[in-house]
Amino acid sequence: MHREQIHRGRVTLGFLAAGLVMSMPAMAGDDFQLHLDPLVLEVLETDVDTDSSKFEEYQDLGSGFRLPRLKIEGFDSAGERHLSFLGQRLGREDARYQMSYGVSGRYKIDLDYRKIPHRFGNQGTFLWNSTGPGRLEIADPTQAFLQGEIEARQGNGAIDFDFLNGLIAPFIQSAQQVDIALRRDRTTAKIDFGTLGRFSWGLEYGHENRKGNRAYGGSFGFGNVTEILEPIDYDTTEVQLGGEWNGSKGGVQFGYRYSRFENQISTLIWDNPFRATDSTDGRAYLAPGGASIGGSSLGFADLAPDNESSQLYLSARGHFAGWWTHGSASYGVMEQDDPLLPYTLNTSIVGVDPFTGATFDPTDPASLPTSNADTEVNVLTVNASAGRKFGDGWQLTLRGRYYDYDNQSSRIELPGYVRYHAVWEEIPRITVPYAYSRQEVGAELAKHFGRSSRLAVGYKLKTWDREFRETEESDEDIIRLSFDTRPHPKVKLNASYEVTDRTVDNYDTEAQEFSFLLPEGANNQPGLRKYAQAARETDGLRLGIQLFPHEAWNIDVGVSHMDEDYDESELGLIADEVVQLSAEVGYTPGERLTFFVFGHRSDRDTLQRSRQSGGTVSTDPDDNWQATFEEVTDTWGLGLRAQISERSELDISGNWSRSDGLVDLFTTPAGTPSSATDIDNYEDIELFALRARIDFEITDSARAGLSYRYEDFTLDRFILQGLLPYLPGATLLAADEGDYQASVIGVDLRLSF
Amino acid sequence: MTWKQLTAYLVGCGCCCLLLLASASGNPPPDGEGSPAIFAGNAEYVGSETCATCHDDYEAHLAVTGHGQNNFRNLSDRGCETCHGPGSVHMDDPDNAANWPRVDRLEPDLQSAVCRTCHDGAKQFFWEGSMHQARGMSCITCHSVHSPKSDTDQLQTAQPMEQCFTCHKDVRAETWKTSHHPVREGLITCGDCHNPHGSAAEGMITAVSVNEQCYSCHGEKRGPFIWEHPPVRENCLTCHSPHGSNHLKLQRTSVPFICQQCHANTRHPGTLYDASSLADGGRASNREFNRACLDCHASIHGSNHPSSPYLGH
Repeated sequence: MHREQIHRGRVTLGFLAAGLVMSMPAMAGDDFQLHLDPLVLEVLETDVDTDSSKFEEYQDLGSGFRLPRLKIEGFDSAGERHLSFLGQRLGREDARYQMSYGVSGRYKIDLDYRKIPHRFGNQGTFLWNSTGPGRLEIADPTQAFLQGEIEARQGNGAIDFDFLNGLIAPFIQSAQQVDIALRRDRTTAKIDFGTLGRFSWGLEYGHENRKGNRAYGGSFGFGNVTEILEPIDYDTTEVQLGGEWNGSKGGVQFGYRYSRFENQISTLIWDNPFRATDSTDGRAYLAPGGASIGGSSLGFADLAPDNESSQLYLSARGHFAGWWTHGSASYGVMEQDDPLLPYTLNTSIVGVDPFTGATFDPTDPASLPTSNADTEVNVLTVNASAGRKFGDGWQLTLRGRYYDYDNQSSRIELPGYVRYHAVWEEIPRITVPYAYSRQEVGAELAKHFGRSSRLAVGYKLKTWDREFRETEESDEDIIRLSFDTRPHPKVKLNASYEVTDRTVDNYDTEAQEFSFLLPEGANNQPGLRKYAQAARETDGLRLGIQLFPHEAWNIDVGVSHMDEDYDESELGLIADEVVQLSAEVGYTPGERLTFFVFGHRSDRDTLQRSRQSGGTVSTDPDDNWQATFEEVTDTWGLGLRAQISERSELDISGNWSRSDGLVDLFTTPAGTPSSATDIDNYEDIELFALRARIDFEITDSARAGLSYRYEDFTLDRFILQGLLPYLPGATLLAADEGDYQASVIGVDLRLSF
Repeated sequence: MTWKQLTAYLVGCGCCCLLLLASASGNPPPDGEGSPAIFAGNAEYVGSETCATCHDDYEAHLAVTGHGQNNFRNLSDRGCETCHGPGSVHMDDPDNAANWPRVDRLEPDLQSAVCRTCHDGAKQFFWEGSMHQARGMSCITCHSVHSPKSDTDQLQTAQPMEQCFTCHKDVRAETWKTSHHPVREGLITCGDCHNPHGSAAEGMITAVSVNEQCYSCHGEKRGPFIWEHPPVRENCLTCHSPHGSNHLKLQRTSVPFICQQCHANTRHPGTLYDASSLADGGRASNREFNRACLDCHASIHGSNHPSSPYLGH
């Protein structure tokens, strides 16, 4: 039996057993009454005009029968025992089942099982066949034929796109079609005990299996990019044991968390479509086109390694002399020690140690300097905050945070590496245990005016210390002003303004040298600043006003402006500005009618600059290029819920979202590049979604519903523009995640017992 | 002893002191005996049946909530007066608005104090000082004791996300972007990552850091790997917008440009890719079309392979 089936069987059995165990005490008492309300039966008829995965990306709306909702509750007459079961979308790929049983004041057990699908793309073109876990193959004769044709062509014509496209086109046409998707099966079980005086404790267990596939870049060289399917079969297990103690002036929470991630398929091996036999290729950057056809017959990837994490935590709070205080600390270890795979599977390659000149077999794991990854990171967090009210409406809050990412991983020295499975690079490297800590201290002083207005000013200092990075230290000053008021019952205003200034001690453009045992030589732009570390200034304003002109009406208006400037960065991200406007009107004159409509606009402008170089770093500013990204996203929505007669109800909701983007490129005519063509479909996306439902009460315990859902989605994404299964230097899946029009008609019956 | 260890010990000692202090401070308030003090005055308890003689609609609504169930009576026998306090003064002069024991007329902190009489641990542990508390919100800003709309947690809206979106309009708009977590589909909720009652971490997330929050669902990215991509370890938000994005995989800016915001080395990292290098352009480049940089650098979150210093495979 397949492992997934075993897992599902276990989950089902677990729920049945749990249900039985929970039900036993319930049934044992004569006065325990179960109540089924509601049971909803539904039939869907779905029509989608394309194979796009997007319509059912996270949901299962296929034609057929389903149970959208089933709820059972039970109590005993004394109110001591409580049982509940809630099932949603039963039997579907997005189903959820929740069960709870508790004895008042003593304990409570919660079980939760949910399926979360994620469809990435449908009907992708896939040359390979899965012949085992983590093994993707192309028939040997096919590989041999393609290799032979390429070798025969060598010296007799160009091995260019047209030639390769013509060569592989018949195989593409007969390739299998695959859907790219995975599903999470997530189970959690929680037991809470709460009656040991002031002390309560709980045990939580969670398990998730993720199974399916997703796209993976498995290239053999710059000219032979192969997009393949990465098989996904993950298991994540989590356990948490925690306790809590509360007294009248304070309390503590403490516990232990453990998480283990296991990848059932940790190695992926796939055939090179253009090579049946191993060879070496010093120009792997060009294979298989241009002047090179060499390389490995097999691609070879080390997929996500098993890892585990454990954490002890302790939090406390209390009141002292008018102050409230919080403190929390946690200490965790994240580690993994997977066996290392050999440098390559390409038997033609000979490894060379540049220090000794000794040669070795890079396909032999014994050639590696170490057998296992041996990585470990210790994380210490400490948070503390305190506050008090004083004087006439004054409030002071102090806060401090510390996070230390202490990387204890061993440094592995490697004499070189195999590039693109094709060539031994005699460039000795060393792994780098990046580490950092960040600290934050801050204070906020607030003044309350009356009972409904508050003005606050706050200051925070955030500092970073990094190891092996471009920036060792940075400080960021943050000043924040906020004002909240409700001067009148019909008016509410929230406003905040924040300004920050981050400075760095130094910027080492060639920090990448930390991973080289011999100097690599300058190959980076001295004017580049990586934005996560760079000096910057930001300011942000948020303003929200809520009006309640009448008991039935509410009006919300909001505006925000966030601006990031990296003025000290000559290259990289230079500026990022977002302006957002929102408005909403709601009308609820009573329980029989609810109506709202909202609109939101987000306008984002981003500026980045770079400089194009060949083999050596260009110092010519004329080689600069600049990109300005303009993204405007409009989102509108409305909802109407109305009782249209004594027995019937109407529910309508609609959303329309449209994104319009542009990449405005600029180059200097005297430089390289000298010209650029703008990208005007920088994610032009539109979604219109409408749902309507009429609900009719047949009897006190039965209601019928008729529902209609319509969606119209268009996607014009520049990186997918004109995408085909085979393109210059790339064999791609080209799965469908694009346009669709879909409609779903549903008829349902809701019963109460 | 390093200063880190010292810090940990100091915090540990502080927690122990709090524990000792708390244990010496008497019993916690008995059920339902804390909040009435806010309203009590000289009033006396009159019983829920008396309240229902005028407020029968409230009683009917309450009956279907957790506060109206039998098991609530095991926690408090005061009924309505558990939260509203003794009602005799109000009953004697029901038209006098000054005597109405309405929780929503109290200052926000006092509103919350009524609820916190019972709901004060677990998820509410960090309520004091939290952003929502500091900005003048109270429990009943989001929760409805008498007329909840949600299946769980007695929220004022049917779906938990709708409750958050009543204020966080920008996040609501983001969830409608094409790349999003399954929030609008109802498969996960805001509460899967955030604790609206406050937490020790920034952004009211439930984990100790953003990355550890992400690892709770994306454990394969936890590593640590032998070849790391440093910004990945510092903050997933360096590259991703978790509430929604127009770009693949919740990217802040689309590949290849987001990579080029940090990488401008010689050859292809600093090369300009434009409309002419798209799949149907005159000089199509697999550094730009499909998944751009990720077509080759597939292990962008880290790699364990000895031959992957550039995070390929």
